[in-house]
Amino acid sequence: MTILELLLGILLSGLRSATPLLQVLLGETITERAGVVNLGVEGQMLSGACAGFAVAAASGNPWAGLLAGVLAGMLLSSVHAFLVLVAGANMFASGVAVWLLGGGLSAFFGIPYVGRRIDGFASPDFGGAAKLPLLGPILRVATPSVLIALSTWVLCSLFLYRTRAGLRLRAVGESAESASTLGISPTKVRWAAILAGGALSGLGGASLSVDLVRNWVEWMTAGRGLVAVGLVIVARWNPWYALPAALLFGVVESLTLRLQALGVTISPYLLSTLPYLVCLGVLVWGSARARSKGGMPRDLAQVFSKTE
Amino acid sequence: MIPSLALRRKTLAARFPWFEGSLSALSASLVFFLASLIFFALLGRSPFLLFGELLSGSLGSTYGITETLVKTIPILLCALATALPARLGLLTVGASGQFYMGAWCGTAAVLLFGSSHWAAMPLMLLAAFAGGAFWGLVPGFLRAKLEVNETLVTLLLNYVASLLVDWVVYGSWRDTSNLGWPATISFPEWVKLPFLVHGSHLHSGLILALAIAVALHVVLSRSRWGLSLRILKSNRKLGEGVGFSWTGNVALVMGIGGAIAGLSGILETSCIHGRLESGIALNFGLTGFLVAWMAGQHMIRIIPLAFVMGALLSSGDALQLYAQLPEATAVVLQSILFCSVLATGGFLRRGRTP
Repeated sequence: MTILELLLGILLSGLRSATPLLQVLLGETITERAGVVNLGVEGQMLSGACAGFAVAAASGNPWAGLLAGVLAGMLLSSVHAFLVLVAGANMFASGVAVWLLGGGLSAFFGIPYVGRRIDGFASPDFGGAAKLPLLGPILRVATPSVLIALSTWVLCSLFLYRTRAGLRLRAVGESAESASTLGISPTKVRWAAILAGGALSGLGGASLSVDLVRNWVEWMTAGRGLVAVGLVIVARWNPWYALPAALLFGVVESLTLRLQALGVTISPYLLSTLPYLVCLGVLVWGSARARSKGGMPRDLAQVFSKTE
Repeated sequence: MIPSLALRRKTLAARFPWFEGSLSALSASLVFFLASLIFFALLGRSPFLLFGELLSGSLGSTYGITETLVKTIPILLCALATALPARLGLLTVGASGQFYMGAWCGTAAVLLFGSSHWAAMPLMLLAAFAGGAFWGLVPGFLRAKLEVNETLVTLLLNYVASLLVDWVVYGSWRDTSNLGWPATISFPEWVKLPFLVHGSHLHSGLILALAIAVALHVVLSRSRWGLSLRILKSNRKLGEGVGFSWTGNVALVMGIGGAIAGLSGILETSCIHGRLESGIALNFGLTGFLVAWMAGQHMIRIIPLAFVMGALLSSGDALQLYAQLPEATAVVLQSILFCSVLATGGFLRRGRTP
């Protein structure tokens, strides 16, 4: 195996394990660009993973599973939108409430599915192409959810920077006050942004349970949603940077799995702390950069530094 | 709101300070009651029967009451650990991580000095304080010196801490006589706090927790330090101008808060489980956060709310036994309660300020 193939292998398995995270990260970026933080993405992921798995198991159709995940994520995020935008609750507290709600509901309704397995997407037959050096591994990693995540990445970035709606959304995040003098309704835009974030985090959860691991366990996302909220800062609220940020976490995660498979004597539990510690490290670095270089939506800055 | 009505409410609030508080508590409970009614009804179960089960399971017997009080202890401590940093405006969700680090370090002390009858307990408690405090100081340092959002750091550190506990209970601290069950050796009797009710798990940590709540309340409301926290919270520049140190106070509240959560961790380990096991923090950290929030970060108001939450959690066991509802029911009810509090609290605040 050449060095190039090895590196490609690490990158590709990193991409695979970063896929759910990338979806959530993009969703949270959109939500935060409109000036709202949502810690509930963790719960939205869980509900998406649970609903997606249940529907995929019942219907035998993984596409229906992904769709169910999207809907479950949106449904739960509407609770956050209601609490924050209509009732005027604190964003962080409401996020924790939604996180608990999603975790509790998915654990409650997910019980019959624990321990079951599904087939997921059928892997297409590439014939001879799958045996090619370089191209083969790429084809094998490219499952529908990975491809969806990568296209979402491009679409989200184009949406934010190249469309009128994206401009409106960013304007609301920078200053809701000025946006409303331009005739934009900040509340409407924020509703849309939170629901979009909910859809993407639900999709991320469903990608995890339906396509990548193909089973369902309570609290299976293990903090990926919260990691995503941290990585948004690292990616400086720029969806283009979301891919490298998610890849970093994915590569570290797949490297720890690879080390365990190689029979390294370090405890797997100790190794599993690495992705969180790396995330913490880049969060510290990213926060310092965000302070010096900016990039944080201005209305959001009030949320982060305001002490109430 | 109509001006005259708003005015009337304002004068009412001024004349009766408890009016606002009881209004929000009442409306939140009403919303919670309705929402959980709908939840149970959707499940096709009689909500009133289940509520009866909830009440009788948690408060209907001596066993139920002691179990409720047993669950109250860690919730109360974790809530205090969250509320203290909140007095400086810091929003931490790190109690469960600090709980684990307290349990981790306390267990290390027991493993090292457990044979000594007189030194084991104080060393265990000291180590637990230190472990929890350290896990609070890290996000405190990052917040004070580098302005890293403390909410996110504490959330990430929770996962690290729980993995560190798994590391030792599946690894070098595992007692091989447990037949494969991941846990340390059983703690000796002399590191356990005296039990309050004979034959139950209810230990004197309850008194300790209540004392900490009262002490914190007195210090925060009467001392110069309490005032300095309030000033720094509402206006950091002003506070620093008068000579209060932001960094020092961040370290203080995060450290003390962490130590309190660490205490809850070692108390659960030594008095309830009798040994360190995986996953012992359950949902205590988040429940504590929720209790602190509902109490408006008020140290005394936290006490009854922690008791209510303890009842909810212990009745979760009863629901599981008698109504065949899964354990997660308690989490669902908790989150419905939290949403109700946030929803009504926000609406009432909006009504108050024009």
